Amino acid sequence: MTGAVIWGLLVSSLAVIMVRRRSLAIALVASQSLGLGVYAITQGSGTQVALVVAGTVLIAKALVLPALLIFTVRRARKTRLIATELPALARLAIVVAFALAVEQLIPRFGLPDASVEHVAVGMLALGILTAVVRRAVLFQALGFLIAENGIYLAGLSLPGGLPVFIELGLVFDLVVIVSVAAAFTTKIYEQLGSGDSSLLGVLRD
Amino acid sequence: MGIVLFWGCYVTNALLIAVPVSPLVGALLVRLPRTPAGADRVNIFSASISAAVALTAGVLGALNGARGLHGSWFLLDRAGASFLAVIAVIGWCSAVVSPAYLAGAGKSLFTARRARAWYYTAFHLFWAALLALALVNNLGVAWLLVEATTGASALLVAYSGRTSALEAGWKYLVLTTFGLAVALLGILILFVGLAPHGGTLATLDWQNIARHAAGLAPRTALFALILILVGLAAKIGWAPVHNWLPDAHSEAPPPVSALLSAALLPTVMLVAWRVVLTLGVAVPHHLADNLMVAFGLASLAIAIPFLWRPMAWKRLLAYSSLEHMGILALGIGFASPLASVGVIIHLAGHALAKSLGFYAAIPLARHDPSSAHRAPRGLVRLSTPVAAAAGVSLGSLSGLPPSPLFLSELLILLGGVAAHQVVIVSIAAVLMALGFLGLAHALIETLAGESHGQRWRSGRTVRLAGRLTVALTMGLLALSAGAYLLVDSQAGVNLMAGIA
Repeated sequence: MTGAVIWGLLVSSLAVIMVRRRSLAIALVASQSLGLGVYAITQGSGTQVALVVAGTVLIAKALVLPALLIFTVRRARKTRLIATELPALARLAIVVAFALAVEQLIPRFGLPDASVEHVAVGMLALGILTAVVRRAVLFQALGFLIAENGIYLAGLSLPGGLPVFIELGLVFDLVVIVSVAAAFTTKIYEQLGSGDSSLLGVLRD
Repeated sequence: MGIVLFWGCYVTNALLIAVPVSPLVGALLVRLPRTPAGADRVNIFSASISAAVALTAGVLGALNGARGLHGSWFLLDRAGASFLAVIAVIGWCSAVVSPAYLAGAGKSLFTARRARAWYYTAFHLFWAALLALALVNNLGVAWLLVEATTGASALLVAYSGRTSALEAGWKYLVLTTFGLAVALLGILILFVGLAPHGGTLATLDWQNIARHAAGLAPRTALFALILILVGLAAKIGWAPVHNWLPDAHSEAPPPVSALLSAALLPTVMLVAWRVVLTLGVAVPHHLADNLMVAFGLASLAIAIPFLWRPMAWKRLLAYSSLEHMGILALGIGFASPLASVGVIIHLAGHALAKSLGFYAAIPLARHDPSSAHRAPRGLVRLSTPVAAAAGVSLGSLSGLPPSPLFLSELLILLGGVAAHQVVIVSIAAVLMALGFLGLAHALIETLAGESHGQRWRSGRTVRLAGRLTVALTMGLLALSAGAYLLVDSQAGVNLMAGIA
């Protein structure tokens, strides 16, 4: 995998932490999935099954899910602004610090390319951190996609790849989870007039 | 002879495929009727078929020798068979009480015309994933099924459409999905470590992991184990990654809460248990067992203060789930035959008692809507059947004899002593005693506390609670009797023989 692709994945994940517009964040994650999908197709050109699987994953993650999320954004009418989040640079600093700490904690686990390993773990951490530092529910849903892209990246760099059943199962689960998240997002906007997850705080003991 | 063997394998395979397929078909069939009554009837019919198939498979697995039933994709040893039977019984009970809940549910997340069909569809899909999870012989596939349960059950948690239900459902979706992503990284690390022994899907079969785990690099095994267990803990609701549990259990419709607490949590724990047994040998100092003990103690310690507070009925049951998942984790962590028998009895007893408690919430919410926010009191004066349901449930969950949970907790503690974990056993015993006192106090207040209002009329939901109380109390008593027979047997040694 080329350094440019790896850097592209990392930068797009970090950009989701910073950008304000939901549609831009969706486009960033879609481009990430597209890059990974194209790489998977070039890698899987040896066998027909691998090509079909890579194509399915690409269509689901780079086209179907981003389209679903864009549709959700269009339907979700904002009548209230999201309460003030941390400034973008502060969010970035927190996330980078945590992601680097995670990098240090997880040792090398045997992928052929060390940089891929680091970026895969980093993207998983960034996906989780996106949900922590961003208040909008849609950004939290994008965190699922970033985290899964990190795992997918690691799977692609395995010599024989991930088993086909697991790869298809993963993308099926992802489609289900993101669809459910989109349904929740729509309902949350309908009820609260905002996608601010901090407004969902009535359950306390 | 060969033909007979082939035919036997064919029938077994067909039966085990039918276990998850029956509720999948049910999920499609419930969408056909045009009337609510029709949907209710199809739901109960499909659920009865699904439960019968699953129970038959469970009995076959339990009777088929120590190693149970094996196949290319399935594994049904005695532990798996016990879990399968519990999921079948609780799923059927929840399906049967669902029409009574839906009849008075009011507004929902879905449009009124399609709400019932969506509820039943999601319910049967959720149940299908749970039944398949108890059967599969592969860690990777088990992960996919655990993740699949999230999609269907998150919609069910938020079914009422209230803001609080949306919050609970969203929290559940986010926390468990990210937890499972962490577990997936652990599985990937394990797969990379085991790749020299295949690098195919079968590499993650339980027997393959058990066979080759000792050859893994210690650091690889350690990180894989920690990530998988921590990730699964988020789904099981073990402290300190339990935040979604009280909210989801208290906001979900009662039949779904029962399925979440009595079937989902223990079934994911079966996966964690198998991970501990297969991968634990590859890490030093019994780390896998110690991690389970740590989850167990943390869950107990965090749950107990909440059991001492007056709390809304379903929320109290939710914190009780946290306590009991902690006890089960302790039993697994003690890793002795006695404790393992205790785990299986505890699993079944908790499932029956907890689901009865959640079913009692249906008439409770119907006659006393404020019970969603405050502790119910004086039920004996308001309704005998509902008081009986709440009393049997809380009494059993607190561990009062002759509840099977009394014996199972004793067995787990004795199993800990047998494993030379005396200090841990002492701490756990104190925490369990505190939990007992908290629930006993809640039991007295719920049944005999000061109550206001007139005696409730014996409507459909009250009658249903009465019938379920009789049936599940008989189940609990039968379990207590059976548990005494298991103590002296070799059951604990052979529970997980299928992964060997």
